[in-house]
Amino acid sequence: MSVLGNKLPFKAFFVLFILICFTLIIEGSFFSFIFARSMVPDLLLIIVVCLAFLWGEKKGIVLGLICGFLQDLFYGPAIGFFSLAKMISAYFSGLSSREIYKDQIFGPMLTVFLATFVHEFIVYFLVELFWGNKFSFFFALDQIFIPRALYHLFLTLMIYPLLYRAEQKSYFYPLSGK
Amino acid sequence: MNPSVWRVVAILGVGVILLALSLVFFTGEDLAHVNLVKDTFLTGFSQVQGFVARLGASTAGFFQGIFDFRNLQEENKELRKELAERENLRHQILELQKENYRLRGMLDFKERTEYELLPAEVIARDPSNWFETITVNRGALHGVKKNMPVITSQGLVGNILKVSRTSSRVLLLTDSRRAVSALVMRSREPGDVGIVEGSSGESASLRMTNLPPEANIQPGDTVISSGLGGIFPKGLVIGTVLETGLDQYGLLQQAVVLPAVNFNRLEEVFIVMDFPHENEEQEAEGHENEG
Repeated sequence: MSVLGNKLPFKAFFVLFILICFTLIIEGSFFSFIFARSMVPDLLLIIVVCLAFLWGEKKGIVLGLICGFLQDLFYGPAIGFFSLAKMISAYFSGLSSREIYKDQIFGPMLTVFLATFVHEFIVYFLVELFWGNKFSFFFALDQIFIPRALYHLFLTLMIYPLLYRAEQKSYFYPLSGK
Repeated sequence: MNPSVWRVVAILGVGVILLALSLVFFTGEDLAHVNLVKDTFLTGFSQVQGFVARLGASTAGFFQGIFDFRNLQEENKELRKELAERENLRHQILELQKENYRLRGMLDFKERTEYELLPAEVIARDPSNWFETITVNRGALHGVKKNMPVITSQGLVGNILKVSRTSSRVLLLTDSRRAVSALVMRSREPGDVGIVEGSSGESASLRMTNLPPEANIQPGDTVISSGLGGIFPKGLVIGTVLETGLDQYGLLQQAVVLPAVNFNRLEEVFIVMDFPHENEEQEAEGHENEG
């Protein structure tokens, strides 16, 4: 990759935009048809949390907001719903990265595990606030929050190394700040 | 007579007999006793011939196999490729057969229904656990409008939630934001109207609530839309009653309803295009009945 190429910001935006759109499409139009509802992973959340972990909380907030906004456009009940949830999850992920080594997988795994709880809790709270949930909180905790968080924990094992390598190769420069 | 003369005579005799037999044999004379000899001879000979031929063939095959090893490998590769292609084709045919079966059912339903139906394909589902929506490949360009009912030949699916140019989002019956006014098809008593909504828990069942305690409802009954909500036409099948009981306060009846539509396997649906006009009439009828 040329040095000049790395300095072009639109290239990083393009890579990121394609990654987000591809993830959203594959979630809704592929995984949703082949997996049971409870087994469809929120790949976008994993990507947002991992990138926020690599880039820090400020960039994480913006990334979370953009990804959540696109998810709201594709699938959300109203604009701002997933934007808020992903933004806050990314913020906490960015904060946690200050104290954790980025070149080891356990940090991001734990961060994704906790961020999934934060994300799902915010969505649960908003649904409860606007329409009321058909799940009780403890049922949701037992049947949705915990299984999904564990599921995401293992998926991070596969996704984080790819993003870390892309980060090392400056695919996201200058968004990543490296 | 001199023994040497006897020997010459014997040799000549055997020679003459063999010559005669050979002549008969090769000229194909149809003599029974000669044929017996011929058959015996040929049968024995053919066994040996067969054995030798098999041995030769297998030996030749063995050496041919060694010589053609490379060709065999390539041929094997080609055959494997061909097999994979055929397997792929077989899956495609099976998939097309299923699609054909579904589309035939839909066509049949479209012909016998009274509504103007627009077929649509499901292109996406909400991947989150919180909302029950699907996206179909028909939008404003095809005349789709918000709140239009969505059905299949099995029953009610939901209604149009959002419309974009070439696609629309459908709010399914199982979503917590959706509730449908419904009644029991068997009795059709106007007073026995309840509300069907998504059930709590992971099960795919629905819940019919707010039924009067004296409502005539029992397991096995078919639940249909009442048409009172103003969005769905009257008479669309929602599902079958699995069990009934009193609610938590013991004041009203409720029922668990198994949806007629398998929401996890939706691939094609119909959008009811001409309902709003009939809706007004049915609402008027509903008010008249109530009155």
